Amino acid sequence: MTRQRLLPVLLFAGVIILALIPLGLDPRGYEMRILCITLLFASLGQAWNIVGGLANQISLGHAAYFGIGAYTSTILLKLFSLSPWLGGVIGMILAVAFALLLSLPTARLKGHYYALATLAAGEAIRVIANSWADVTGGPVGISVPYLPDGSLWMMQFSTVLPNYYLFLAALVVICLVFWKIKSGALGYRLRAIKENEQAAEVIGVDTYRSKLIAACVSAAITAFLGTLYAQFQFFFDPDTVFGVATISVKMALIAILGGVGRLSGPLVGAAFIIPMEEMANSYFGSSAAGLSQFAYGAILVLVILLNPHGLTALFAQLRDRFTGKGGSHDRSVA
Amino acid sequence: MTAPLLEVRGVTRRFGGLIAVNDVTFDVHAGEIVGLIGPNGAGKTTLFNLLTGVYPPSSGDIRLEGEASGGLKPHKIARRGMTKTFQNVALFMESSVLDNVVTGGLLNNALPEARDKARQILDRVGLSAIADVRAGDLSFPERARVEVARALCTEPKLLLLDEVMAALTPAEMEEVIDLVRSLRDDGTTFIVVEHHMKAVMKLCERLLVLNFGELIADGTPTEISRNDRVIEAYLGANFAKKQASQPVETA
Ligand SMILES: Nc1ncnc2c1ncn2[C@@H]1O[C@H](COP(=O)(O)OP(=O)(O)OP(=O)(O)O)[C@@H](O)[C@H]1O
Ligand SMILES: [Mg+2]
Repeated sequence: MTRQRLLPVLLFAGVIILALIPLGLDPRGYEMRILCITLLFASLGQAWNIVGGLANQISLGHAAYFGIGAYTSTILLKLFSLSPWLGGVIGMILAVAFALLLSLPTARLKGHYYALATLAAGEAIRVIANSWADVTGGPVGISVPYLPDGSLWMMQFSTVLPNYYLFLAALVVICLVFWKIKSGALGYRLRAIKENEQAAEVIGVDTYRSKLIAACVSAAITAFLGTLYAQFQFFFDPDTVFGVATISVKMALIAILGGVGRLSGPLVGAAFIIPMEEMANSYFGSSAAGLSQFAYGAILVLVILLNPHGLTALFAQLRDRFTGKGGSHDRSVA
Repeated sequence: MTAPLLEVRGVTRRFGGLIAVNDVTFDVHAGEIVGLIGPNGAGKTTLFNLLTGVYPPSSGDIRLEGEASGGLKPHKIARRGMTKTFQNVALFMESSVLDNVVTGGLLNNALPEARDKARQILDRVGLSAIADVRAGDLSFPERARVEVARALCTEPKLLLLDEVMAALTPAEMEEVIDLVRSLRDDGTTFIVVEHHMKAVMKLCERLLVLNFGELIADGTPTEISRNDRVIEAYLGANFAKKQASQPVETA
């Protein structure tokens, strides 16, 4: 299919454009920060897409993994001057351990019950991070120690330009991981679980194991993104990195809004949500911080009403309408 | 005689106060095509669900190739070589026919081999022409066939078919009968639930009869058709009604 060939070309062109954009911008400017955050959330949405999209395990607790990553590398950097690359890997391991622990009570839960259980688990971790002040610094937050002679090894730079390229590289890698899983045997198994879990079991799919593998990959990626975020932001607190609205729901929303289970979904979702949120925040000021959440809700309801398959499907439909290709049941869009 | 492929010993399943399968005992030997019949609600599907691990039995033993399989998870039982089709059709509706079948093939194969195998099976079952159609867009008889193809792709030793001939035309039924026979000749053993008596009598060398969860008869079609308890169970239940509702004429 031409569609299949077009996709890599489009993605490659997209990466090139994204790599060139910063050249025209002030490397210390506000726009660069928004672009970095957009790339970060596209990656986060894609990480969530592995469980939420492919297996329809709607997790609302992914902030737990993100925060574990951010805190682990930062604490290790503070205490032992450990490179965030290594701290990030340790964060990934801890996040996978937490995912394994969480799977014991949640793997058999379905639908709302799974969503609620993961939400509760994420909140539990946030409460722990707030009260375990000796290690985390508690509610006042934690700062990444500033190293005057920054380097790639210590993941510290004098402008956000290198951070931007790190976020971009991470996004490319995560999209490749997602694509590899989706088109491989695990993708078939997760799709089977999504579409009929009982039938999947009866024809030999170890549904528990498949969900567990997906959850661990997703958790590990999310944790490393937490480390990248910490090294970009330099200061954070438990309510930010373990937040339901700030991380967990936003990750899910970005994937669902863009087109759940599709490679392009989180990319479209993040490109839409993050700049809009930033614009709303700067326009209305911090006094109306709740407004962006309200806007999410409204947009989500609209998208679900218009097309439950998300924005990418909506775009595909519009395009088909304009090109006269009435193929509304083309669901194979990546 | 060789050891049975499947041994079912005193298997019972309760749902609350209801005993859906009551102390059922029988054997199935490799190479058999066994019919499982009985009025609506007799417990046929429930027995299939117990054999394949969808539900654990409340009590009793199930052995596959001499090893206990009762209460194992369905994917473990599938790996041991027993799977089933779903009476109410449980395909992966958003996926293509081919992808449905490939998923079954992943039980014993890596993805590329599973794809080859799935294509061969679609060929054999006569579904190649609709390989790329979304399962949710198929007619009911087509879906039942995809159920069979998907189950076959797991390479079962013992395949349980739950009313795959419902709603088929007589010609289509003949095709299924021929298919099951040829698969048996290639080494697959079958237990077949079917309401259509003519088809059952034609396909099976041996019949098991369930009534209110109890196994009331086990014998050749001729023996079964003369069995008083069977005749009573059917006539006492809705045998006449069931026969009248069949879309095709009976013997
Ligand atoms: N999961 C369940 N929970 C409660 N009751 C059940 C369950 N599954 C089956 N039953 C009950 O068990 C009995 C046997 O049902 P089953 O579906 O096994 O019958 P069947 O012989 O397959 O009937 P049919 O010919 O209509 O398919 C019925 O009374 C049914 O209502
Ligand atoms: Mg039944």
